[in-house]
Amino acid sequence: MPADMTSPVVGPAGASPAGVIHNIGYRAYDGPRLGHGHIVLALCWHSLRSAFGLGRGFKAKVVPVLTLVIMSLPAIVNAAVVAVNTNQKQLVSYGAYVPQLRILVLLVFVAAQAPELVSRDLRSHTLPLYFARPIRRADYPAAKLAGFALACLILVDGPLLVLYLGMVTQLHSGSAVWTNTKHMLVGLAIGAAWAVLLAALGLVLASLSGRRAFATGAVAIFLLLSFTLARVLAQIGEQTPAGGLIRLNGTGTPPPLVGLSGLISPFTDLEGLRLWLGGTTSGAVPVNPGGYGPLYLLMFVVFLGAAVGGLIARYRKVGVA
Amino acid sequence: MTTPGAVVTAGRTAGHDEPGTLAPPGGPPVITTAGLTMRYPGPVTALDGLTLEVGPGITGLVGSNGAGKSTFIKILLGLLAPSSGTAAVLGADCTASGEAIRTLTGYMPEHDCLPPDVTATEFVTHMARMSGLPVTAAKERAADSLRHVGLYEERYRQIGTYSTGMKQRVKLAQALVGDPRLLLLDEPTNGLDPAGRTAMLDLVRSIGTDFGISILVASHLLGEIEQICDQLVAIEGGRLLRADTISSFTRASHVLLVEVDEGGPELAAELTSRGLAPVPYQRTLLLRLTGDDTYDAVRDAIADLGLPLNRMERRRHRLEELFRDDPADAPEPTGAGDAR
Repeated sequence: MPADMTSPVVGPAGASPAGVIHNIGYRAYDGPRLGHGHIVLALCWHSLRSAFGLGRGFKAKVVPVLTLVIMSLPAIVNAAVVAVNTNQKQLVSYGAYVPQLRILVLLVFVAAQAPELVSRDLRSHTLPLYFARPIRRADYPAAKLAGFALACLILVDGPLLVLYLGMVTQLHSGSAVWTNTKHMLVGLAIGAAWAVLLAALGLVLASLSGRRAFATGAVAIFLLLSFTLARVLAQIGEQTPAGGLIRLNGTGTPPPLVGLSGLISPFTDLEGLRLWLGGTTSGAVPVNPGGYGPLYLLMFVVFLGAAVGGLIARYRKVGVA
Repeated sequence: MTTPGAVVTAGRTAGHDEPGTLAPPGGPPVITTAGLTMRYPGPVTALDGLTLEVGPGITGLVGSNGAGKSTFIKILLGLLAPSSGTAAVLGADCTASGEAIRTLTGYMPEHDCLPPDVTATEFVTHMARMSGLPVTAAKERAADSLRHVGLYEERYRQIGTYSTGMKQRVKLAQALVGDPRLLLLDEPTNGLDPAGRTAMLDLVRSIGTDFGISILVASHLLGEIEQICDQLVAIEGGRLLRADTISSFTRASHVLLVEVDEGGPELAAELTSRGLAPVPYQRTLLLRLTGDDTYDAVRDAIADLGLPLNRMERRRHRLEELFRDDPADAPEPTGAGDAR
């Protein structure tokens, strides 16, 4: 309660009951006013929370919680199996994790939650309130991107940490722990690439529409369509003239169409990038960069640059008031 | 660039190239503009050589829709760069120091701007954070602001469940939450019913007078805005029509309209005998409104004559009438201390 309640403010005579100013003096604020860096941090934190539905109702938490649980299941199963049978090798790799699951979960999470961060503000025309505050134009998309990338990182790398904990508790030699840690760190880095790229792509696509359904549709269609196209092209490329199939699974030199097809989809691009950088194939999502590895890196940069640039351009143009 | 400081005398209509000065004694100007011009590609000229100075207190920015009010506000917030001319808020240049200005300015937009699925407390707290307040201060000030606008009990309800009037209050609360030195309110009574309008205007008035925050309130309804303003700036087509203190604006415009179903001439005679100067206008009588005695006189006259009173209201003048130097077809009662 304010200390200076000695000067009661009384509503003007004739004010309707609804218009009464309550009997409390106005307190001026003389505390610190944080600069725009702090405001960006606050907005980033707010975005991270919204991505998981925190501070919102029960419904907003369904998708994030479910995806996080499903994504963690392989790590939990791995921990359980390894605990029961100490001779059991690690079931799930740090680098690829379970690629089909990771693709599916990220697809659902990004398509459902990216609109939560950007489309709501567009829909309810809240942006003028942000830009009427000490925020710069690029601050808003930057904070949203940072928040959402962090959310995706938790989703991707969180289970890897569970996996790691499950493993190291069962390892007894120092060198084994060290080897496992190294693999885990590489896995975390790969996960970060997934998180950042998908967060950026999801946000830029979602920011095209204030209608949540459209935004979700745009994200889902882009990710699904590009992935399907990449798979179809790869399968066409794998067919030999004789009608047989070349299954190279990351080794050897694939036909050009197979090598290049992976560039189309962010998912296959990320997987191809990992293989090019020395990862071992899981075979679950067959991508074969062959000699086109540098192109996969280039494509990663192009995807990311286009998404971030598009996001900043989007908020430079959006109506101010 | 025009020389600032020239004073527009009371009641004089200013041309767009003449500066209007409103700074009353007691404070440096809150808003200063010089030759402010905004042209959108089109070409649309939203503001055309606007030069004025606004002092502390409540200032009405009045003009019809499309007169350039919202553009003016956006320039003041540093969100739009003017095509030419300068604008300064609280002594800081709007183009160069937009961020500093926005720290000390609260803005309430004209349109709907609230997310439906969060509570008022959460939303206003978040907006306080976005104004640069630390977490604890943001929470405290959000609660305070919501209380000041009369939403304390309902503050934990989702905004989507609010009435239009309550939503307008949340908009006002989020503008107030950063303890601004200046509030820019764009059509705060938009979409409200008469009671809601009165309540909102009282609220704005209280914030201006009791909280000591300077307010620029834009409206196309002069009749409304004049009730709460100390001074008035009128723009039309991006040009300054007039800038003046409220008293000189409204002196000529307090008109009471009386309509009786029958016996109009008798009433006119009776009112004249009571020292008033009624002017017949269509089927009604117009009277200069000098105070409560005018109402009393009309009441007594009608009661004495036993006439069926149909309507008695303060005439809500249209903007054009007010700015016309010679209100030919805006019937003014003659001989009642004509202001012009």
